[in-house]
Amino acid sequence: MMSDRVLGGVGLALAVFYAWAATIIPEPFSSDAIGPDGFPMIIALVLGLSSIYFVVKPDPEPKWPALNRLAEIGCALLVMFGYAQVLPILGFVFSTVIITAYLTWRLGAGPLTALLNGVGTSVGLFVLFELIFGLSLADGPLGF
Amino acid sequence: MIKTTLAGGAVAAALVATVPFAASAQEFTPDQPECIAPAAAGGGWDFTCRQVARIMRETDLIDGSMRVQNLSGGGGGVAYAEVVNKRNDENDLIVAASTATATRLAQGAYPGNTMDQVRWLGTIGADYGVIGVRPDSEIEDLPQLMTALEEDPSSISIGGGSASGGWDHLKVLIAAQEAGIEELRSIKYVAFAGGGEAISQLLAGSLQAYSGDLSEAMGFVESGDLRVLAVLAPERLEGDFSEFPTASEQGLDVVGANWRGFYAPGEMSDEAYDWWSGQLDTMYASEEWKAVMEQNGLADLDLHGEEFRDFVAESVSDIEEISREIGLIQ
Amino acid sequence: METFASLYEGFAVALTWQNLLLALLGCFLGTMMGALPGLGPANGVAILIPLAFTFGLSAIAALILLTSVYYGAMYGGRISSILLNIPGDEPAMMTCLDGYPMAQAGRAGEALALSGVASFVGAFFATWGLVFLAPLLVQIALLFGPGEYFVLYTLAFATLGGIAATNQAKSAFAAALGIGIAMIGVDTQTGVQRFTFGEVHLYDGIDFLIAIVGLFALSEVFVFLEHRGQNDSADEGKMKIGRVTPSLSVLRYCTPAMIRSTVLGFISGVLPGAGASLGSFLAYSVEKQVSDPRSETFGKGDPRGVAAPEAGNNAASGGALVPMLALGVPGSGTTAVLLAVLLTLNIQPGPLLFQNNPDVVWGLIAALFIGNFMLLALNIPMVGIFTRVLLVPTHILMPVVAMIAFIGIYSITGSTFELTMMVLFGALGWVLRKLDVPLVPIILGILLGNEMEVNLRRAMTISNGEWTTLFDSWLAIILWTIAIVGFVLPIFLGKRVKRKMKEAEEEGPLSD
Repeated sequence: MMSDRVLGGVGLALAVFYAWAATIIPEPFSSDAIGPDGFPMIIALVLGLSSIYFVVKPDPEPKWPALNRLAEIGCALLVMFGYAQVLPILGFVFSTVIITAYLTWRLGAGPLTALLNGVGTSVGLFVLFELIFGLSLADGPLGF
Repeated sequence: MIKTTLAGGAVAAALVATVPFAASAQEFTPDQPECIAPAAAGGGWDFTCRQVARIMRETDLIDGSMRVQNLSGGGGGVAYAEVVNKRNDENDLIVAASTATATRLAQGAYPGNTMDQVRWLGTIGADYGVIGVRPDSEIEDLPQLMTALEEDPSSISIGGGSASGGWDHLKVLIAAQEAGIEELRSIKYVAFAGGGEAISQLLAGSLQAYSGDLSEAMGFVESGDLRVLAVLAPERLEGDFSEFPTASEQGLDVVGANWRGFYAPGEMSDEAYDWWSGQLDTMYASEEWKAVMEQNGLADLDLHGEEFRDFVAESVSDIEEISREIGLIQ
Repeated sequence: METFASLYEGFAVALTWQNLLLALLGCFLGTMMGALPGLGPANGVAILIPLAFTFGLSAIAALILLTSVYYGAMYGGRISSILLNIPGDEPAMMTCLDGYPMAQAGRAGEALALSGVASFVGAFFATWGLVFLAPLLVQIALLFGPGEYFVLYTLAFATLGGIAATNQAKSAFAAALGIGIAMIGVDTQTGVQRFTFGEVHLYDGIDFLIAIVGLFALSEVFVFLEHRGQNDSADEGKMKIGRVTPSLSVLRYCTPAMIRSTVLGFISGVLPGAGASLGSFLAYSVEKQVSDPRSETFGKGDPRGVAAPEAGNNAASGGALVPMLALGVPGSGTTAVLLAVLLTLNIQPGPLLFQNNPDVVWGLIAALFIGNFMLLALNIPMVGIFTRVLLVPTHILMPVVAMIAFIGIYSITGSTFELTMMVLFGALGWVLRKLDVPLVPIILGILLGNEMEVNLRRAMTISNGEWTTLFDSWLAIILWTIAIVGFVLPIFLGKRVKRKMKEAEEEGPLSD
């Protein structure tokens, strides 16, 4: 119940923000009948109406995980953000070993398995993408 | 997906680099030559990069292959900003450009960027504008189209492959201005993602006229699906195209040449700049390139180095003036 | 008969040992690219273009290699959809809906084999369509003006209601969210910036690959983190694979679905701008409406729900070649890349291609047939190998999948901004799944939102602002009728039934 109402609230705020952002689109030279802001306004309306519906007629409450599991997901999220940031600095292979090992460990493997999976995944994907497909992955200080 | 990089070119280049190759006498040679096509695959800029990459490889003007990267967005603005902000001192990089680039620079559509921030290398030909209609259209020539536009602008929708205010739109506006039409804003221009799409919609009957470049229209002209009202060239073109009337012989003095060429990063070294500009010039003179030009309806326009820079500067200021007159920019 | 003679010539051109090897290589690489989340068919083809040049291939050989990659990727996308609930590429999104439930029910092998056959059927008949109907099909494509396109996209969104068995408002919310995201970037009609707030990375808009990989693949990782340890005994190594060939009775059961979907998919493919995603989407939603209007089996592992989208998207990939070859208009991202290849090879697609370069066209068509048979031959025996993936314990498999997602996106964008955005989509996907907001409409919105808007605006400009233009052709009226009678009315009629079902369902899997 409550979750859907929150979703409705957030959705409504988003719709209002979206509609506002549509109003600040600069005026072009030769505008068509609808203009660059017409269609986004319709979308904001649909977004808003469906959000109101959630507030008025919410679905039953979903099963949210316990606090420690939420923290678990939050940590994984942070690690992924971190990965995106350090990738160009540490290079592909090192960053990938770390994040893969972390995720493997948190999904329930022992430390050794985690490390092995990290190294295996990292090297395996490097070979596949960089050497076979010829794509350029992030280069680190050692060139990989 | 659109931003697909052809990164594999790096590997290709590495593979070919191991093949013994007669080194050029010049001091500079690019390690990893790269051409940015500032639009999605399949468009004019993409064509420019790919054809040049192909001919340069075939005529051994470049060791191995030149990697072509599509970097679309902002009508070339994303690529322009990327080059100016992040890759300003690279020597291995060239970027495809055309009249559209000059148009957007003139109209201030690349926020914060000016034409002086990059080095203009040279052209590889020009593509003259065409204005066409369906073969069964009642409109027989350009003055008739202009009269119709003046009498009832709402009855005619003109489609083209550039956004509103872009080159395909400008060509129509310039012609209309020349014909003395005052209500330029009332002319209906419909933007499509590319010339091919616009021509399809002309054939489908959604549009009454089409404004584009000869190269994209050629296949449809040959197949009899499109009637050319006017080529916006200073005089009649050669060969197969000589049957098309120019705008000026119909009393409207309009020339619209979409040049195609390249710019390079602003801090590119002089050696590299001379090398690229020289290679482009050599390529332009080759038989292979002449064949590409002929096949694709590109007319002669050979400018490079300082000459080209001045040409771009002039074209930017011309477009700026027209855009201001018409009311596109303040 | 002239057609057969030309086709024979085409085979004569295509059937050399070198070309067959290239086709095999292309099919194999394409299948891999398709199966890896984050690399779709368009990237697959683009990535392998330099390979074609490195080999110094002739125009026809290069085309054979690259179209094999194209078809291979269309086949490959389904593998990760079925096994992991993560679409390998965007047209395979619909295959998740029934493919994954089939895998959970211990029928993974059957789902893979069946979808392989369905892919073959779709692609095979689409290629015949290309042979016989190309000139005619161009005429169909030309029936669609901007107004008709707009109605077609509206129809696509109207069918959403039929797909999500749950709260319709949530489908609408999700679709609006997707379309809203699609609006970000430069407005093609006027050239002005929308919703970019000065961020250069947004000028281009948000790539749907980032959204699809984030929403599906990363959110799946979060789901596993959430449930870790709760049912380890159930999911580790105990997922049954089942038989690895579909039984004749299942094939017969799915045949009508495959035929319908092939036709629908092919037509969607022929329309420029619609493409394979719309093909698989319409194939699934129409099939569901026809075979299972009360949502009793679809979404729970109905084989027809696997066969339909796969036949649909592979038929569409054949159909998409029609406007590309005959009009020079790419019908999808992948055909845009193939178009670039043709141009590089100095082949000018357009109305005269069939006359000017018959060897290329017929060689290409022959290559498509060869690729198809090769893919069928590759895919059916490989089902057993693919399904081994399920024997890998979750804690090993999920991190690998997540990393593939990251690399896929990074290797094609080269930007950490996109990676960060993908992680955000992952978190969003997890929350929305919790709240029972379906994810498919979001992707559909991102994929089709721009086209829908742009065509509406084109239609309005042409008609001088008259809304009646959206109803003034028989085609538009037919499309409106299908949308309303076929999809919108049933929502209101079937609402009561669905609400009951909803109560029965606790926390469904990805029930969108």
